[in-house]
Amino acid sequence: MMAPTLITMLALALLAGPLGCFVVWRRMAYFGDGLAHSALLGVAIGLIAGISNQIGMILMAIAFASTLLWLRAQRLLATDTLLGILAHAALSLGVVAMALLGFEDAEVHDYLLGSLENISRDSLLYVVLGCGVSLGLLMRLWPGLLLMTSSEELAHAEGVPIRVYEFLLMCLLGIVVAAAVQIVGILLITSLLIIPASTARLIAGNPETMAIGGSIIAALCMLSGLPLAAAFALPLGPAIVTLTVALFLIVLSARLIAQRLRLIN
Amino acid sequence: MPESLIEASQLCVRRPGGLVLDNVSLALNERDFITLIGPNGAGKSVLLRHLLKLETPDSGSVTHRQGLRIGYVPERFQIDPTMPMPVERFLSLNNRLSARQIEELAAETHCDSLLDRPLAALSGGELQRVLLARALTSEPQVLMLDEPAQNLDVSGQLQFYKLIDALYEKRQLSVLMVSHDLHMVMNSTRQVVCLYHHICCSGAPESVARDPEFIQMFGDEMAQMMAVYQHSHAHDHTHDHDHAHLHEIKP
Repeated sequence: MMAPTLITMLALALLAGPLGCFVVWRRMAYFGDGLAHSALLGVAIGLIAGISNQIGMILMAIAFASTLLWLRAQRLLATDTLLGILAHAALSLGVVAMALLGFEDAEVHDYLLGSLENISRDSLLYVVLGCGVSLGLLMRLWPGLLLMTSSEELAHAEGVPIRVYEFLLMCLLGIVVAAAVQIVGILLITSLLIIPASTARLIAGNPETMAIGGSIIAALCMLSGLPLAAAFALPLGPAIVTLTVALFLIVLSARLIAQRLRLIN
Repeated sequence: MPESLIEASQLCVRRPGGLVLDNVSLALNERDFITLIGPNGAGKSVLLRHLLKLETPDSGSVTHRQGLRIGYVPERFQIDPTMPMPVERFLSLNNRLSARQIEELAAETHCDSLLDRPLAALSGGELQRVLLARALTSEPQVLMLDEPAQNLDVSGQLQFYKLIDALYEKRQLSVLMVSHDLHMVMNSTRQVVCLYHHICCSGAPESVARDPEFIQMFGDEMAQMMAVYQHSHAHDHTHDHDHAHLHEIKP
């Protein structure tokens, strides 16, 4: 049965569109990468603690975001540097932990690049529940998040609790990472957030169309990547991301040509 | 004496370099129009941020009158160009204003022609007017502006200050503004507060221009220029030098 995989993809696409926009607008690409890198350690922790992979990854993501925010508040090192330290520490620890737990290289490889293996009904529940709650939360936070992304100071002055919002945004990204690991794999999660949102940016005139456009593009690429990967025995993650890049290039060329022909500004 | 809208009492703010605000007390009353001047690094923006309660002082306190709404125009505003944000959408963010209300607000701040334009593509003057409109979305009693005209050319500055004047009268606002444009500030008979970590002097422009601390800070030439401005423009010389206490000054 492919149904659980398809449902996971749709749920993931719904979140990846709007969250990808924030990653692009707030320049959180490296943060997303770091968060994804910590997922492997989350899997290991989940296994040791006897909880599900997804919960392990989400807890790990929250720990990652909290540590980063705390270290950043100490103002000792640049955020960029802190992220580099945390991301690679988490990735190395994750791979070491997986090795100690007796995982085969092939299994670790699946986590890194995604796999075609059917997603179990058990994890499907977590994914759908997690994405549903996240989407609800995101819609509630949306106006405040947009305002603080336009100007943190204005949002603060207008009473938006910016530190709480920032933390919640990071947690939401953690949930996307947990949902996306099985599909595109740890190494390519950020691209699933950034590339569809950037493609949508080329045609969108306001934040909402960019978010929805991102979701539609992510869904299209995942749904068409699945049969493609199956037919040609390709790794799923790279197949999907290749499609997103192809679509990005098509839209980009169309836009540049339209600009050249002065059809748009 | 009615309760002040905003009252700061004995604010001290310490930063690694030393005291940024040293025992600063300031009250903003209804219909006040206070301009905060002072050299770079004097702590003007820090004071504004504390008056807005965006930061907590090391000692001292800031009290807002119950239910106070403040419209704020920050010093720096730079939206990421990857964010598609038309002016109209920006003005309706995080509030319940109807399209009609947005249009009225835009007309009031001369932004009517900008509503469909992306925020990232506006000129400095256009952006300032949009930020002013945004500050008014909450129907504030107080308008706080941090060097609102610093990136505008002279005619742009003049127009912007005129607009603030018009809003001050029409909406019966209180205004607190940080400004570098001494000639503009001194040219109007309003309250001026001169800050250099502590409040050096305050009062009507002509009395501030005669203050020894002001002369020391901005130089004799500037003070004389201010005095000339005042003598040729002011019609009301009843206010004497006023050091510690700020009271309402008739326009």
